[in-house]
Amino acid sequence: MSDKRKLRSRKVSERMAVVDEADRRRVIQARLAALEQDNHKEDDFGAGSDDEEYELPAASGSDAEEGPTSGRKKKKVKVGGGMRKTRGMIEAKAKGPKVFRDFLEEAELEQLPEGAPSYMTAAVGPPRTAAPRKFCSVCGDLSSYTCTRCGSRYCSRRCHAVHTETRCLKFMA
Amino acid sequence: MALQDVVVMDVGGGSVKMGSARQPDTPKVFPNASAKLKGERQTFVGEAMLGMKDVLALSLRRPVDRGYVVDWSLQREILARALKGLLGGLSASACGLVLTEPYLNLSALREAAVRMALDELGFASIYMAPPAALALRWHAQQLPGLPANAAGCGLVVDAGFSFTHAVPVFDWRVLPAAIRRVDLGGKALTNFMKELVSYRSVNMMDETYLLEHIKEQLCFVSQDTAADLRAARGRASPFRREYVLPDGLTDTWGHVRTEEEAAAAAAAARQQQRQGGPQLPKQPVLQVNNERFMVPEAIFHPSDIGMEEAGLAEAIAAAVQAAHPHLHGLLWSNVLLTGGTSRCPGFRERLYAELRPLVPDDYELGIHLADDPVLCAWRGAALLAASPSYPRLAVTQKEWRSRGTAALAKWEQ
Repeated sequence: MSDKRKLRSRKVSERMAVVDEADRRRVIQARLAALEQDNHKEDDFGAGSDDEEYELPAASGSDAEEGPTSGRKKKKVKVGGGMRKTRGMIEAKAKGPKVFRDFLEEAELEQLPEGAPSYMTAAVGPPRTAAPRKFCSVCGDLSSYTCTRCGSRYCSRRCHAVHTETRCLKFMA
Repeated sequence: MALQDVVVMDVGGGSVKMGSARQPDTPKVFPNASAKLKGERQTFVGEAMLGMKDVLALSLRRPVDRGYVVDWSLQREILARALKGLLGGLSASACGLVLTEPYLNLSALREAAVRMALDELGFASIYMAPPAALALRWHAQQLPGLPANAAGCGLVVDAGFSFTHAVPVFDWRVLPAAIRRVDLGGKALTNFMKELVSYRSVNMMDETYLLEHIKEQLCFVSQDTAADLRAARGRASPFRREYVLPDGLTDTWGHVRTEEEAAAAAAAARQQQRQGGPQLPKQPVLQVNNERFMVPEAIFHPSDIGMEEAGLAEAIAAAVQAAHPHLHGLLWSNVLLTGGTSRCPGFRERLYAELRPLVPDDYELGIHLADDPVLCAWRGAALLAASPSYPRLAVTQKEWRSRGTAALAKWEQ
């Protein structure tokens, strides 16, 4: 028992270590990628199964009599929904949904003659007139401090406490 | 064969604008998406989403990824359903089509669009153009006195759902080499706001569709961010608002809580406390404060959210710089703001303040907000569709069948 505990605390403390620059950048990139996402969850198996587990007890808990039947109904609906996929959706699933990046790669824009206008030439590039401003990751106000562990910004002791409790990247590295 | 009508479609990442050139005052606007309620079978496609009574926990599917249509089967479905209602008894084969095309479209995607329009939807002919050129047409009709408009010249800022473009136009044609893009649009802003309020107030991670609505009602562009941030501190912040979330019964979208409502709720709570009865169930509300102006801020300074990209003002300056020097004066005098994101209150004023220092001071800077930023491109397209030049520009079924992709070359010029 005590051995296990030691092991666990050792593992955790390893993860609590300072997050390096590359990881910090990776987290920012993941966050930016999330900004382009829709609320679409059909293909996400993890979320789907999670959902079911969550829904069934909730239904039986709210009204005990109808619990089992409504639970079964729900399952049926799920199965029916699965069967009713159109041909297009099945094809798309087999290939995996094609996103813009795939088309961009297929277009081979780098084959274009030098200077020809394309998607790539239109990108505005890095900023020249202003340095990035720093905002508190908790309350959004201007911030003057940086979390030593994960590099997020905070503005006050209160925000720092909230940050370490909730958002600090200690378990993300 | 003479065309009976020309259908005009502006297919955007967020919404589809569709109508007929014969009725230019009544285009339909509906989300370019399909939605499914959680745990239910029924799917609402495109136009049907307008009639939804429940907007919570929608699973949204969009045919557009990063501003370009990639899921053509879904896109066809959305358009075909809306077309049925629009055309009534008329067959698509008796109609032409004007369709907007994203800037610097990939040729594979352009061909897919033509294939869908001519082969699958069955239109008699098609013309595709980028929305900036079309928006400027409408703008020129509204303000014919402007010298730049007479030359068909202007810098169109298209602040759309997927990204924001600065597009120089001359002689009604887009100058492709000078287009500049900021990879942030309404969608990213909505998701950014979603992330912020989910962390600070109520978890809304599943409510993208509702958040978009809230964003449109509450967000504004700050004229002095630092001062507004200072003012937003503390309880007495003038920017603090409460948004009453939909209850799923009477209030589909929820609403911003008015002062009377807040006062009434507080009074009821006091009364309750005095009488010692059971606590009233609290209305679920979303607290927003500095998010209201910090969210649109990202368009002006993407570096604030960790993006290594220049902001909108710099993008516009770069676009003008890339155009021929003789055009600079005309472009600066006629900056046209279109696209849904430019509706955000204060957008024009802020852009002026950021842009003026970047413009050489012997040029006049004129920024015009389109009278209806969302429909501006559609209206321009409708003008074009009704004009006698449409048959000359359009590619017909016959040309497409005989010459294939070579027939599309005439749009390049």
